[in-house]
Amino acid sequence: MNEQKPGFAVSSFALLVIAFLQVPVIVVVLAGFSETSYLTIPPQGLTLRWFGEVLTDPTYLSAIRISLILAVSATLASMVLGVAAAYAIHKKMLPGSDAITSFLMAPLVVPSVVVGVALLQYFTLIGWRGSFLALILAHTIITVPYIVRSVLASLSGIDPSLEEAARVLGANGPSAFRLVTLPLIKPGLVAGALFAFVTSMENVPVTIFLASARQTTLPILIFSSVEMGVDPSVAAVSTLLIVATAVVLLLAERWAGFHKFV
Amino acid sequence: MSRLVLEHVEKRYGTVPVVKDVSLTIEEGEFVSLLGPSGCGKTTILRMVAGLVEPSAGSIRIGEKDVTNLPPNKRQIGLVFQSYALFPHLTVFENVAFGLRRQGESGNGFSARVREALALVRLADYGERYPRQLSGGQQQRVAMARAIAPRPRVLLFDEPLSNLDAKLRDEMQIELKRLQAELAITTLFVTHDQSEALSLSDRVCVMHDGIIQQYAPPEDIYHRPATAFVASFIGKPNRLSGTVAGNGADGRIDCGQGLTIRAAAVAARAGSAVDVFIRQEAIRLSTTPEAADNALAGTVAMRSFSGAHVQYVVRLPNGTELVVETPSSGPASDLAPGSAIHLLVSAADVFALPAAGRAS
Repeated sequence: MNEQKPGFAVSSFALLVIAFLQVPVIVVVLAGFSETSYLTIPPQGLTLRWFGEVLTDPTYLSAIRISLILAVSATLASMVLGVAAAYAIHKKMLPGSDAITSFLMAPLVVPSVVVGVALLQYFTLIGWRGSFLALILAHTIITVPYIVRSVLASLSGIDPSLEEAARVLGANGPSAFRLVTLPLIKPGLVAGALFAFVTSMENVPVTIFLASARQTTLPILIFSSVEMGVDPSVAAVSTLLIVATAVVLLLAERWAGFHKFV
Repeated sequence: MSRLVLEHVEKRYGTVPVVKDVSLTIEEGEFVSLLGPSGCGKTTILRMVAGLVEPSAGSIRIGEKDVTNLPPNKRQIGLVFQSYALFPHLTVFENVAFGLRRQGESGNGFSARVREALALVRLADYGERYPRQLSGGQQQRVAMARAIAPRPRVLLFDEPLSNLDAKLRDEMQIELKRLQAELAITTLFVTHDQSEALSLSDRVCVMHDGIIQQYAPPEDIYHRPATAFVASFIGKPNRLSGTVAGNGADGRIDCGQGLTIRAAAVAARAGSAVDVFIRQEAIRLSTTPEAADNALAGTVAMRSFSGAHVQYVVRLPNGTELVVETPSSGPASDLAPGSAIHLLVSAADVFALPAAGRAS
């Protein structure tokens, strides 16, 4: 690559853009520390009270728990389906691999609201409306493209002779996959899984159509809290979500070289 | 260790035949090369023996066992890939251990066998390294150790030396020969490099267009090519075309415009069209006329020096040009263009074969 130092003007402009993009995050984080009982910027006083309230409020705790269960289940399901799909596409096991790839990527392209409405109609039709399984399925559908994409990227970097070498050395098909291919796609799989997890954790547009009242996820709760009139606990829980997401992504970058897959 | 037998093996992709009715026997412990230009079907044959490609017809036997329908993991074969295909996430030790572990080996005897295989390729101290920390030649040797560690019945090589530079390739060639002699494993070696095939093999199988052209010891391949393709593919031949003027012991080919060339054994009918092959290195140069089966006068048209050898383009009186290679330390190594020169060719070094199946 041509490593040329950008000029002062370019660097400062880039910094400005980055700062601009971070303003909403900074605002939310600051608001969470305010002593007032309403959202205000700049925060007045400094307190951890709202964080305490969030972490003891059963509504929030239940929402966090539901979100985590949902995200973990959807991510695991996506990993299984996504790896299988990516492997089949990569090996051209089926005719029309390109069409299948586009189809699997569709949830990334179609607006989430449309996906939400479509799934609502579908689940109503088959009588699954309001079931938690339906919600997990929906999240699996919207997260599977991330896994397929990152695993496909990993697979394309693997010498096809490696699996053949394993087979000649006495491994049957499944063990050749488990012993050779799987370890080699692990970075891509981990990156895709983390992205899927984060996507599920923060999803509103699809969840809002499908979640019953007893299945309020964290982003839905935040969404409705903001509608009902806000106190800084919303900002506090958002801050927690931001920090958790940032930690997960940092780990992903450290562990798997995340940027290569997204 | 077993003999490998291919009987009437064919492979078609759709309607395109890649391997056509190939029958081949490799005796126990024998080293056989499949030699041919790219696209001749040699790699497809190797992959069929390994079980990675399914034959369209025919059968493959290893020892007494018909393996035609066995998956690769049940064939007890060692395969060294062109790309080496070392497992990048495993250490050298684990790479070599891979096949033994699949056989359910473990414990002390098992480690000893891995170390023994590594010692055979002189990499005993490299077990803890990862493949990416090794040079190309070392990776190549790990690939060999990995292939031989499970004691396969047949060893297959798919152009294993083509990714190495020339110097390393010569070293590895010697190493390979030593190793094969030591282990005496039945070996099938696929290559497009004739010097590799000739120097390593007990027998060479020359292939073209999915068909075996000649299957014989290296000396026969070189000195007694069976088809025009083999004659044109092996060595650096000059090719002339002519008609048979006399056959059998009185082999004479009329190449037109007063040029008649004597050949030792002409099988073709008198009057039939043939290709005449004379290797560059089989032509002797002399500044004075000498008696020979073929003594041709000519003029040097071009000279090029390539280290150990000098190559001349020599024009004969009838306009035919022949390329002649001579040692650069020899007597006729410094002739200027325009010099008169005599070409001496023994009749045994002239091959006259039916004009078909050309390499180029």
